[in-house]
Amino acid sequence: MRYKVIHTTHYKYAARVTHCFNLANLIPRNTNRQKCINSKITVSPQPIHTNKRTDYFGNQCYHFEIQTAHKELSISSESQIEIQESSADLNLDLGMSYGDALNFFKQAPSNEVIKAKEFILDSPMIKTNEDIANYARPSFSASRPLNSCVAELTKRIFEDFTYTPGFTTIATPLSEVLEHKRGVCQDFAHLEIACLRAMGIPAKYVSGYMETLPPPGQKKLVGADATHAWIAYFSPEEGWIEFDPTNDLRPGSKHIVTAEGRDYYDVTPIKGVIFGGGKGPILEISVDVSRMP
Amino acid sequence: MSDSPYPQNQPLPQAQLQMQAQLQGQGQSQTTQELKYKRPPSDIPDQVYSDDGTIKAEWNYLLNSLNNLGPQALVDRQEKAKRILRDDGVTYNIYADSQSSGSQWELDLVPAIIGSEEWAKIESGLLERAELFNLMLRDLYGPRHLLKNKIIPPEALFSHGGFLRACEGIKIPGEHELILHSVDLVQRKDRSMCVLSDRTQSPSGAGYVLENRTVMSRVFPSLFRDSHVHRLASFFQRLRQKLISLSPSENKARVVVLTPGAHNETYFEHSYLSNYLGFPLVQSGDLVVRNGFVWMKSLEGLDRVDVILRRIDDVFCDPVELRSDSHLGIPGILDVIRSGRVVMANPLGSGVLENPIFLKYLPEIGKSLLGREPRLDSVKTYWCGDDEDLKFITANIKDLIIKPSYRGTNQKSIWGGDLTDSETVELITKIRSKPNQYVAQERIDKAHIPTLANGVLEPRPAILRTYAIASDSSYIVMPGGLTRVGLDVGRQSISMQTGCPSKDTWVTATEPERVHEDNQSEAGHAELEALLVSLPSRVVENLFWLGRYAERAEASLRILRTVFMLLNGEEAISNESKRILLRSITEVTGTHPGFLNATDEQLKNPEAELLLIIKDGNRAGSIKSTLDSLLYCADESKELLSSDTIRVINDIRDALDNLETSLAGGLSSAPEEALDPLVIPLIALSGLMQESMVRGVGWHFMDMGRRVERAIQIMRTITTLITPMAEKSDHETLLHAMLRSMEVLITYRRHSRNRAGLELGLELVMLDSSNPRSLIFQFEQLQNHFASLRKGNTNLRELVEEDRVLLEAITSLKLSRIIQLVETKDGSRKNLSTLLMQLNKLLSDFSNIVSDKYFDHRIDPQQLVTTFWGENEG
Repeated sequence: MRYKVIHTTHYKYAARVTHCFNLANLIPRNTNRQKCINSKITVSPQPIHTNKRTDYFGNQCYHFEIQTAHKELSISSESQIEIQESSADLNLDLGMSYGDALNFFKQAPSNEVIKAKEFILDSPMIKTNEDIANYARPSFSASRPLNSCVAELTKRIFEDFTYTPGFTTIATPLSEVLEHKRGVCQDFAHLEIACLRAMGIPAKYVSGYMETLPPPGQKKLVGADATHAWIAYFSPEEGWIEFDPTNDLRPGSKHIVTAEGRDYYDVTPIKGVIFGGGKGPILEISVDVSRMP
Repeated sequence: MSDSPYPQNQPLPQAQLQMQAQLQGQGQSQTTQELKYKRPPSDIPDQVYSDDGTIKAEWNYLLNSLNNLGPQALVDRQEKAKRILRDDGVTYNIYADSQSSGSQWELDLVPAIIGSEEWAKIESGLLERAELFNLMLRDLYGPRHLLKNKIIPPEALFSHGGFLRACEGIKIPGEHELILHSVDLVQRKDRSMCVLSDRTQSPSGAGYVLENRTVMSRVFPSLFRDSHVHRLASFFQRLRQKLISLSPSENKARVVVLTPGAHNETYFEHSYLSNYLGFPLVQSGDLVVRNGFVWMKSLEGLDRVDVILRRIDDVFCDPVELRSDSHLGIPGILDVIRSGRVVMANPLGSGVLENPIFLKYLPEIGKSLLGREPRLDSVKTYWCGDDEDLKFITANIKDLIIKPSYRGTNQKSIWGGDLTDSETVELITKIRSKPNQYVAQERIDKAHIPTLANGVLEPRPAILRTYAIASDSSYIVMPGGLTRVGLDVGRQSISMQTGCPSKDTWVTATEPERVHEDNQSEAGHAELEALLVSLPSRVVENLFWLGRYAERAEASLRILRTVFMLLNGEEAISNESKRILLRSITEVTGTHPGFLNATDEQLKNPEAELLLIIKDGNRAGSIKSTLDSLLYCADESKELLSSDTIRVINDIRDALDNLETSLAGGLSSAPEEALDPLVIPLIALSGLMQESMVRGVGWHFMDMGRRVERAIQIMRTITTLITPMAEKSDHETLLHAMLRSMEVLITYRRHSRNRAGLELGLELVMLDSSNPRSLIFQFEQLQNHFASLRKGNTNLRELVEEDRVLLEAITSLKLSRIIQLVETKDGSRKNLSTLLMQLNKLLSDFSNIVSDKYFDHRIDPQQLVTTFWGENEG
């Protein structure tokens, strides 16, 4: 399957910005199931200096500096991505048990496992605690296959939590999400990662897009798609396996990956420092995911 | 009187010592006093005695010499050292609240001595350790073989706050990534040396080492010379060369020293080092990233920067990619560093090496990276993230020091022995919840060395900080370092914050040191000289304000003295005169409303308000607040002030501290005297500004500040004293007040035989170009400053704004007629007041032009807000 993604971010500032330094994680990375064929970032006003690099996590980072005074900033990323149909279904009832998996991680037999252990630890926005462990624990027992444990955890989050846009911001702590059982995809992803880490399983944050289909008989609206976030955990036998707690499904050919990291902090789509700008910039985001012939 | 656990000489009370000194005269006849070092009891290790109970050779000479001097001479020299340190402005933690220990740097006069042979062993251990840490740094931000080969558990690295993923792949020129390495060392009971911790971001203390050495060689010139102490200069020379060699620019090396600012506890050393090395001292606001390079903002515009020696911790250096709440960083600098267009030493991310968990694995790391275990031991370290270690720690917590593995977490080390049972349980629970974040270390009985206390030499536990710098293919170790001693015998914790004294460290040779010929290395870098000669515009702005505040303080003191003199004078003065005089104090100091609408009662008893004008630091315009601002500007431009100037600045600081006491007697009798401690250093300061400063950009702006302020004060004085039309009988009083406060009364009297009073007075203070306190003189000086600054650039056709304004002011003054100025109409001198208003406006325009054009107007950066993200997120 081939997709074209256009992701536009627009800032309107209350006062002039005279100088800014930004860092964008908007160029889709390659993974074992997707390939970014081409990608282009357009920034207005024109940056005086840009730099593209691959970061620590293998994501594509785009740095830009603007010296033109401006009250509006627009960043548009346009990419074409080829995605393989997902291979054979994961059999949840087979595979290494949770208990064996824990031992396996402890022994860290391969370099891949050593690297994966980074994702068991606390990260800037995800700190595990006893409440989170208590929430996760019912889905995990030593003899049960790990994959089945995670599938159940994903399902529980999907069922227990209500998708409520606007209830949380990126600064809302997990404890609040857990208490009110509300949030958006990034909250659910953070929560599931925290649960997995509390149970000793390496888990990472995946940001990207999901193709949405219009209701039958209606035409799809341009820009109505959205950025999305889900998780991947490390299975001793299969390596990294993705789950989407917001939709209770395993990401397949409709999930397009932009970046991966320990949590949102590592993959923030656009961050940076501005000089000026006043208070309360207005942000508009539009995403359009379309299939290509 | 002493409850110490070992026998000691009764220290002679200070008073008695002094009395004896007086009786015996100040001469050498102190031999009756013994100054022996009392060895500590056998369970406390000591560095002076060898195992056979004799004093080691390297200590023997020192202790004999001190003994020959006698206790009183030593106390005297300690006082002398204190004065030198104070005069040099050596401070530590100067902005600490007054509750904590003083800001004066503490230096104990008995040096720590290390013999050459012993030092050679230490030095080779330190060299090896620096090499090892360099290899670790390269590996941890590169291939991470140490993880792959299971030398270090992955959690030990990945859970550490100093491992900055954004810093992976930074490369710097030369053979080493780690430029500076510093360790804290102690000597153990078995006399072996042991490393307590490593400092690998921006190790502090090297500047204090230099200062301690300077003081010691001045206080003990012959003892120092005869002890054959290894010199420090070549170490700093190598540091300078190394920094220059790091430059990414061809044939150019513009190096700066980056400080968090005057509020940092070790700011003294930042300015001292930058001066010693000859590199400009900058704050983050002085630097800016543009077009993918780093620049320094100077008066001439932007100057490229190639190398930054930083005194800021890793995570604060770039709010774009590292800690976003940092105000000490330079936005965007990390990406410039990554692209190799600027080099920072130490490189960002090097704080990962300060992780004490690595000490547990250091022998294995050494085997893996160097092929052998490091020679120099580290303190025995247990990691709570290791199951076996955790068991040991919980069982032995009372005998261990518990430390967070990452220093940035604001948590202190805890000595388990100090804890109650419930505190112990609490700590163990805390550790178990985040075991990766804690280590435990054994406590080492630090060997003691002699320290001057209570007039005798007492043993004190010692810790030594040493420094290594990368140089060509290896490292160079500073021969010596910063020794710090505990406050009491057997006392374990040694911290500068709690006022523990420091010592100079003498590595002594049996032969005098040969002067180091360093030709080969010199030649290699001869082409590449440090180039950055301009000043950050912030420093220039502070000098401008230093000039203004100094002049403002002087003017305020002068008007106060003048008014005191007249109010307490022999001749009674009218109430109207009194009202005008007091009002002039309010106007000149700018402490409104003050006496502007004073009641009769206030006029009768002005003392309360006058006292406040002097000492109320919270009141803008008061003498105290003006001088506080002056001290702040002096701190910010410290590296440009001569040592005499710094002395005088310290006198002002002292006088301010003592202001309350000086004014305790009120102002009723001889109030001028109470102000003398302030007046005298201020006069010295203005003398030094004229006589001890190179006529560079800095001086021009400082003097401009003075001229602008003086012009303002002249106009305010004339406006309040002369423009109102007072009773004829008051004329003389007010005119004299004006002339006296502007110090032209004597000139006036010499001329007044031929001319009428007011006309002559105004001419002297406004139009006389030969009077350095006249208005026209100030404007003409301002003109001259710009002419000098623009030297070599004289082909300008059109007048620039600042020249225009000055020309207009001077012309207006020159075209004015005294006769018209003194004319009165409707109770005031309209023409005079119109002219002064016009000049005042021009001066304020001038000040704005200078500020806009030459000074930096920093806008605070803010984070691009991302909290709105959630709305469109699926």
